[in-house]
Amino acid sequence: MASLDILLQNVANGVLMGGVYALIGIGLTLVFGVMRTINFAHGDFVVLGMYSAVLFNALLGWDPYLSLLLAMPIGFFAGVIVERFILSRVIDAPPESALLATLGLSLIIGNTILLTFGGEPRSVQVSYASSTFSIAGVNVSMVLLLAGIATVIMIAALYALLNRTEVGRAIRGTAENRLGAELVGIDTRRIHSIVFGLGVMLAVMAGVTLIPLLFATPTNTGAVFTLKAFVVTVLGGLGNVGAAIAGGILLGVVEVLGASYFMSEYREAYGLIAFLLILLFRPEGLFGRTIKRV
Amino acid sequence: MTKHLIGLGVLLAVGIAYPAILPNNLTIAISVLLFAGWATSWDLLGGWNGQVSLGHASFVGLGAYFVAIGQSQFGLAPWWTVAMAAVFAAVLGYFWGQLTFSLRGPYFSLSTIAVAEILRLIAINEEWLSGGATGVFIATLPEPFGIDLFSRTAQFYMALAFAAVVIATVIVISRARFGYQLRAVREDEDSAMAAGIDPTVTKLKAFMLSAALTSIGGGIYGIVLAFIEPHVIFSLLLSVQIALTAIIGGRGTIWGPAVGALVLVGAGEMFRTTFAEANMLIYGILILVVVLFVPRGIVGELSRRHIRRLYAKRAQG
Repeated sequence: MASLDILLQNVANGVLMGGVYALIGIGLTLVFGVMRTINFAHGDFVVLGMYSAVLFNALLGWDPYLSLLLAMPIGFFAGVIVERFILSRVIDAPPESALLATLGLSLIIGNTILLTFGGEPRSVQVSYASSTFSIAGVNVSMVLLLAGIATVIMIAALYALLNRTEVGRAIRGTAENRLGAELVGIDTRRIHSIVFGLGVMLAVMAGVTLIPLLFATPTNTGAVFTLKAFVVTVLGGLGNVGAAIAGGILLGVVEVLGASYFMSEYREAYGLIAFLLILLFRPEGLFGRTIKRV
Repeated sequence: MTKHLIGLGVLLAVGIAYPAILPNNLTIAISVLLFAGWATSWDLLGGWNGQVSLGHASFVGLGAYFVAIGQSQFGLAPWWTVAMAAVFAAVLGYFWGQLTFSLRGPYFSLSTIAVAEILRLIAINEEWLSGGATGVFIATLPEPFGIDLFSRTAQFYMALAFAAVVIATVIVISRARFGYQLRAVREDEDSAMAAGIDPTVTKLKAFMLSAALTSIGGGIYGIVLAFIEPHVIFSLLLSVQIALTAIIGGRGTIWGPAVGALVLVGAGEMFRTTFAEANMLIYGILILVVVLFVPRGIVGELSRRHIRRLYAKRAQG
């Protein structure tokens, strides 16, 4: 039936889009799980990724996936620097201070991009931008498919890092109990820097993979992505990486279905409403185990 | 308290004389006064009560839309619509608060963003309610006592009255029982409950008062702009500006938010010439500076040092 095809197509697109949302959400939830900090600037790092892809494309003619090779390390080190010099000082202050510090960061990043690139929406044209790929008779956007594949690879790499390496063990230990981790000899300050760097790297990666699909405006897009990242992490439960994946996919599907079958202008609102409902009735997230204390 | 009231009186006197002294700088003065009023109203909830709201632009927008639609579609004069807006804002604050006060700290702030965004989307999409994304234009306004409400001077006095009323409200509250209740809930909700204060009721009252006052300023802002667009007036950026103005100036103090307004609007203007739209950069830099080095805000730090000096003098005998 035609409508079943369309439904499958919508769901497929929603799932793939959700994968990228998950990538953004994982960065946020990782940072929260280890540092107990809600990073308001997360979406702006995504935008930073988008603009770096724009820059490399404009200057060097690189395809976004090629830019990833440069953008990801840069993102990681940028995160480390930010953590070292700014966040490490507010980590023990009341949680609002970290929130406000990241808010300030968000404004600084957004406006610096605005100053450098100007206010017009930018994107990157790729040759495969409008081509689709057929899986089992369902048409899937090529860009989204590539993004989905990249996301899966990244998540697998993260899983390996967290569960199969010493650094990963140290990260998990710090997330569970910072004092305890220090007592067994983990340098938590270094771990914080690494984790924040990872979070920024993931955000940048999401931005680079998304730019062929979307337009980026320096100041607005950042807040939009930050909000989406919050929705994803709260849906899954802050601090829970696996659940963030589920949350991301859920958000992607909810948005696509809501926009197709209900009023499409309220596309953004569906995620927000789900977010509010979860915050109110199940604040530990759909899969979370901790309670809503911060 | 008398000291503060005298200070307010002095400021009022300066304000009344201002249009005669600097008639060409009225628009920026209006900005300073509106932000001072909004930030001080915000501070009732965010500083005195400790609940950081990042959705206050919703109330500004409410006030502006009530005035605009009331005037253009129903021919209602602004003083009626502003009063209606204030009541509506208080009611909205009540339900909003009921919805979100079970959340603590950053979760509350996140929820305020979400609610504000939903309101913004409603304003953009529900044409029958708000004129949709194209906005509403105020073409004519009544002339009370023959005063032209479109003139910058009249708007300046309205903004001055607004800021003065809000600051006076805070001065009175600071010495009233309500003020102590607010601060008790901010410092430690559980202890406040042990002392017989109902934190939820206190927070709701703060939210409703803050919302109503902000919306009055929003109505005046609507008259100043004369053309209201949803994405301008319900913007997250405006909410952030209001919150940051209060925080940088000094949360929980009487004059802090007003000082913040002076500093930020002034700095913003200076930066606007160099950076055009990126003048929010200064907000970002300042908030980082405040969080890292001046956590109590400008007025907060100054008053803390003043108190310490007084204490040291007294301790010396």
